[in-house]
Amino acid sequence: MILNLQNMRRPGFVLFASFILLAHSCTKLNEDVGANLTQGQVTTDSSYAAILLQSVYSSLEWTFTGFLEIFPLSELTTDEAIAPTRGNNWDDNGMWRVLHQQKYDPNNKVVHDCFNSLSGVIYAATDMLQYKATARQQAEARFLRAWAMYWLLDLYDQVPYRDPGESTVPPARVRKGKDALDYIIKELNAIEPDLLDGPANRANKYAAMALLMKCYLNKHVYLNRASPAPPDPADMNNVISLADSIIKSAHFTFSEKYFDNFSPTNDRDGKENIFTQARNFDGNYAVALAWILILSYPQNGANGFSTLSDFYNKFESTDKRKGFAYNYATSPPNPGGRVNVGFLIGQQYDLVVDTPLTSSYTNQGNPIPVVYTPDVKNVEQGANIEMPGIRPIKYPPDWAHFCVFQCDPATNEFVYLRFPDVLLMKAEAILRGGTPTNAGPYGSSAAAIVNFIRTDLSRGASRLNDVNLDTLYNERGRELWWENWRRQDMIRFGRYLKPFQQKEATSDPKYLLFPIPYEQLGVNPKNLVQNPGY
Amino acid sequence: MVLKHFFKPIGLWVLLSSMSQLALAQGREITGKVIDNKDRSALSNVSVIARGTQTGTQTDSNGNFHFTVPASIKWLTVSAIGYSSQDIDVNQTDHIEVRLESTASSLDEVVVIGYGTARKKDLTGAVASVQEKDFNKGTFTSPDLLIQGKVSGVQIMSNNGSPGAATTIRIRGNSAITGTGQPLFVVDGVPLDGRSLERNINPLNFLNPIDIASIDILKDASATAIYGSRAAYGVVIINTKKGKTGETKIDVAISVGASSALKKLDILNATQYREAIQYWGVDPSFDKGGDADAQDAILQTGWQQNYSIAGSGGNENGRYRFSAGYLDQDGIVSNTSFKKYTGDFSANLKCLKSKKLGLDLHLNSSQYIQEGSNISDGNGGSVFFALIWNPTVSLRNKDSSLRMSPAENVNPIAYSQYARDNLKVTTLLGSISPYYKFTDWLDYRLLLGINYSSGISRSSTDQALGLWPMIFSPTGYASIANNELTTQQITQTLNFNKEIFHELRLNAVLGYEYMKFTSQGFSLSASGNDATGFGNYGIDYTDYIQFSSQGSRRIASYLDPISELQSFFGRTIFTYREKYLLTATLRADGSSKFGANNKYGYFPSFAAAWDISKEDFFKLSFINSMKVRIGWGKTGNQEFPAGSSQALYSFQNGGGLRQTNNANPDLKWQSDRQYNVGVDFSICNNRVSGTMDYFNKSTTHLLFPSPPIQPAPPNSTVQWINLDGQILNKGFEIMVNGGIIRQENFSWDLSVNASFLNNNVSGLTVPLYTGDVGSPVEIIQNGHPMNTFYTRKFLGLDKSGQSVYEDDGNTFYYLGDPNPKTLLGVTSTFRFKKFSLTANMYGAFGQRIFNADLFNWLTVYGIMGRNMALSVYENPVKESLTNPAQSPSSRYIQNGNYLKMGNLTLSYAPGDIGKAFKGTNIYVTAQNLFLITKYEGFDPEVNADRSINGVPSFGIDNVRYPSSRTFIVGINFSL
Repeated sequence: MILNLQNMRRPGFVLFASFILLAHSCTKLNEDVGANLTQGQVTTDSSYAAILLQSVYSSLEWTFTGFLEIFPLSELTTDEAIAPTRGNNWDDNGMWRVLHQQKYDPNNKVVHDCFNSLSGVIYAATDMLQYKATARQQAEARFLRAWAMYWLLDLYDQVPYRDPGESTVPPARVRKGKDALDYIIKELNAIEPDLLDGPANRANKYAAMALLMKCYLNKHVYLNRASPAPPDPADMNNVISLADSIIKSAHFTFSEKYFDNFSPTNDRDGKENIFTQARNFDGNYAVALAWILILSYPQNGANGFSTLSDFYNKFESTDKRKGFAYNYATSPPNPGGRVNVGFLIGQQYDLVVDTPLTSSYTNQGNPIPVVYTPDVKNVEQGANIEMPGIRPIKYPPDWAHFCVFQCDPATNEFVYLRFPDVLLMKAEAILRGGTPTNAGPYGSSAAAIVNFIRTDLSRGASRLNDVNLDTLYNERGRELWWENWRRQDMIRFGRYLKPFQQKEATSDPKYLLFPIPYEQLGVNPKNLVQNPGY
Repeated sequence: MVLKHFFKPIGLWVLLSSMSQLALAQGREITGKVIDNKDRSALSNVSVIARGTQTGTQTDSNGNFHFTVPASIKWLTVSAIGYSSQDIDVNQTDHIEVRLESTASSLDEVVVIGYGTARKKDLTGAVASVQEKDFNKGTFTSPDLLIQGKVSGVQIMSNNGSPGAATTIRIRGNSAITGTGQPLFVVDGVPLDGRSLERNINPLNFLNPIDIASIDILKDASATAIYGSRAAYGVVIINTKKGKTGETKIDVAISVGASSALKKLDILNATQYREAIQYWGVDPSFDKGGDADAQDAILQTGWQQNYSIAGSGGNENGRYRFSAGYLDQDGIVSNTSFKKYTGDFSANLKCLKSKKLGLDLHLNSSQYIQEGSNISDGNGGSVFFALIWNPTVSLRNKDSSLRMSPAENVNPIAYSQYARDNLKVTTLLGSISPYYKFTDWLDYRLLLGINYSSGISRSSTDQALGLWPMIFSPTGYASIANNELTTQQITQTLNFNKEIFHELRLNAVLGYEYMKFTSQGFSLSASGNDATGFGNYGIDYTDYIQFSSQGSRRIASYLDPISELQSFFGRTIFTYREKYLLTATLRADGSSKFGANNKYGYFPSFAAAWDISKEDFFKLSFINSMKVRIGWGKTGNQEFPAGSSQALYSFQNGGGLRQTNNANPDLKWQSDRQYNVGVDFSICNNRVSGTMDYFNKSTTHLLFPSPPIQPAPPNSTVQWINLDGQILNKGFEIMVNGGIIRQENFSWDLSVNASFLNNNVSGLTVPLYTGDVGSPVEIIQNGHPMNTFYTRKFLGLDKSGQSVYEDDGNTFYYLGDPNPKTLLGVTSTFRFKKFSLTANMYGAFGQRIFNADLFNWLTVYGIMGRNMALSVYENPVKESLTNPAQSPSSRYIQNGNYLKMGNLTLSYAPGDIGKAFKGTNIYVTAQNLFLITKYEGFDPEVNADRSINGVPSFGIDNVRYPSSRTFIVGINFSL
């Protein structure tokens, strides 16, 4: 480029030339999102709905199958379970101890993580609803959202929500108490026609019905947890009629063995399972923690949770739900016929060669026998660090997939809802003022239903003469132990605040609800209100 | 030229003899030559005066002079700006060769400022320039440590002692509630990305200090605003060496050295442990009868060697420089090391007959391998396992094999042998820059730059460590990860420099810049196959990762959102009568990262300076020059991940798609507004010079990774917002250099810089917590400095050995902060004939440190099979073993003041040896010779990453890789 020197003296030319040079290479600065998709790309057609829906299922996994969020809040706070501090382990600044003592505060990590996880499910489901999808896909997403909302209502009494496509910048609106419950009931009724009958590991019609039953059964408690009014008979009758619909579908029956519902092949053998979590390879499916968190070190576990002796003593000796020598896919030969599922108590054995197990992990390296004893305390020290505590194994360990990190997930499907729960809810509704009905072979009185369950060959317990609310409460414990219903049941039956093993004090009524985590109160002070008393 | 030939030995003799006859007459002719003592270059315009008279002359362009002095004159005074003047004895001779020594600050020095250069005397902003001769001496893996302690207002601190460790650099205080808080680095006009390929690795490791000519630090907004939305934390400009005209010159530098640990932690030895077992009455079987010093076992002498060769040459039309370097440095912890290969090539060419077209080329390539890259910060590495090792347990069995048992803690020697963590980083930094000079006052330059770096990280744990299955995979574990960062750049500038009116000069630049940043990578990891594990074949697991179990394989790959930056900028500097200066800059930055509503940011600055000493009314004769500066400007920061302003949907492991971030379309840059008042002065015949600055820097629109408001995308931990709030940094900096003693054979130069800093937070609606040591221990709260320690107040142990806290530990208190109030740097150089002794000391005062080692790992419970701090054992009150499990408190917050002898160098410069070796310099250097501090950890220079949700922590010590003391012997010479 040859420039005339004359021109150079005119500043105008210089500016013009420079402007040309600078202006030619302007870009629009639209952000290239690399290996991600923008909202605009996802709206193109309905093929995205399936993979979006898969992520909604995925978002539910860790909070339940990880046993470190829903489980501690629903079980460690009860007479059923405890996570003793064993020396240096399981101390975590008292995070677990305060749960069993019912002394949680808004700083508690489990309270925080659980609130966020459940809210995340609500978001993932809501977000999917803004895109093209079939009615069934939308219904599935809405069911999962209703499920997460239900748990937030049950645990925290406050349910944040957003509309599809709503930005996350403004504070989310919140439904409390009755409003939240009404919304869930409305949603479940609306989506039921679009849901299929099964399979159990996807949102289905019967799962929606069972969840509706939970809503109606607990409604009077959700309206006033500390001193609930007597339940409305209309609600109880709703429970009964929903139960009957499920019974009459003949879709569910008792499994041959109690633990078939939880075994590594429970997708095939678990005939009682209404709603489960499908096995998933995304890294969040951690059902192996169901046994790893509980077993002691020589059994390749982390020596965490145990049950308490008072609860254990509620079982008759013949009650198979307590545990037995169970032969299942991937189970070791167990030549000695040792109890390998249910409540593990006493000397434990190697299940391949039947030698008594010993442990050199604690007690300064000197081997001690692995003997689980019934008496367990909040804090174990010294020689007692390792062994105290009856170990409840609800999910028979998948020996082909024993670990949880850096390995394929175990094949046991995590169980959310089971048929016997439906029967027991019907029995309870009858006892609480509903009109008895006859459906299926189970009978029309609470006693008939409860005894049908107890005496089934898979359970092997004796008949009870008197079935009242107290015995029903205990029966729920025996049937549904470790399935995340204990806290809810204790509250509904007025037992939660009372002292129980390793919780000496009567709790302040505020502990009927978990506090809203500080962090969320801090970012949404407008719509979230701390629960009373905190 | 002619004179030079004339004064060859024979000619000289003739002249001298003729001169001696003349001397008997009234005056005599004195001739001579003045050169720069360092590089032997001829100095022109040097004043040569007969001392005590007005008779004098100046040297010509070849450095020669001649004039007649009165017969009685015995001394000549030779002086020049930027050099220390000398008195030369001419009693016995009529011809002298004078070698002048340059002073530390030279006002004619050319300093690189953004997109151009300026003479120091023309600067209106606070800019510090450090030349190669003033760099810290010793072996450094990255160039930032070359200026540690050298610049007022700048704190540079190694995060830990491992070779290649990252540094924390804070220019004028801390104002980063997210991101790294590091300044913008510009290498020869190419701004660096700033991200590092792995946590805690220094992004500047690819440079070889031997290739660096000078480093300029832009501190105040009037200097940095031209870099706009990336300049809020300051700008550090690194200038590499270029070719020099003249004959080809080859420079060789060789050094070897050895490092050992500067300090070990005071924990119990075996004897003390046995006593402690009795003292606390615990089970005597904790005493296993052995005697082990685990710290010693993992520490080693770190040998190092450093070689480089550089050559340069050329003429006025083409200059070039090439260099190659090799550094091999062993760390002081076994199985850690740093090896680096570098190559640099630059050429400056002039083309066309008119020489109006020029081309500057630069290519820098390097590869470094860091072994044991991730063993600090409480990652459970060998230092960690050494600290918690029971000293009565022998580390080896009788047959010398390592003692490893699942009932005991992990053997630290075993860990260092069986755990591998290596990082290999390859970097290419290249630029090609043609320019065209329309006239001598107008030129256009185009810069095309590329910065590519690729890091491969290979880590593995041997299945022998599977004895501890809770921590390590029983079948072994291997992982390979690769990350590539690319920066592409186009910068166009039009430069104007002309006297536009009488005595009014305008130096202006107008520019356009476009930059694109890309980050891409993948990772794979797996555990050994179920049947045999990876095994023990003497091969690195990451080289046969297919031998793994299928279920354990994890793979992932990514391409981050691409970030583009488009900017228009301009600067004008008006100089009137060489005494009045006015500078104005403006930059408009558009970033693809910013939300749709805020794509462009505007960053102006203004500054003025007045060289008072040039005024007629200025009568203070002892002040040679004094310039007053005042400046104001706005800059920004945009350190948040690209893609944060719009909703992103990402593909999940095993199928599934979901939104993964919380979009904020209003996201914009963090804003800084700074003003600065300063004085540059030079007194006592330019023997003493210095600069003082007062600054006030306010940061608003704080970029903050807020917890998302639920419901929010699952596993999303962050919603980027601009937070209401303000961080105010203000302070005073002073730097003084003096030639205290100037004799012919002996001189002493002293340079001191000090900074006084004050930091305060205000305007936040909720406090922010960070510093995760188990629970947060730092707070960012109104009315307090950033990262103030906020925890229980420990009052001591009561008689029964239980901790006593203020208000029973129910109330938290503000207990000091990790930001230093005072920074100090002292450089002292003694010269005696050909010897010189240089000492560089630096220190920081007023900060506190949270000693997480004492809190987490070395408590009284260590008596039950681990170890404890000596201070716990020697506590006059016996701590009870039932003292409840530890909570953070002021017990672990310690005074962090320190003063360090950074390096001490004794060198001997025999100059030319024979015909071949020119400019020889032999030296011995001690790095980190001593450390004066009360702090109990390895080193008070520490910054472990204990961030919470993206809010960085500061001043937390958590299993720091120990610091080393190094002795180096080296030689430099030219061929």
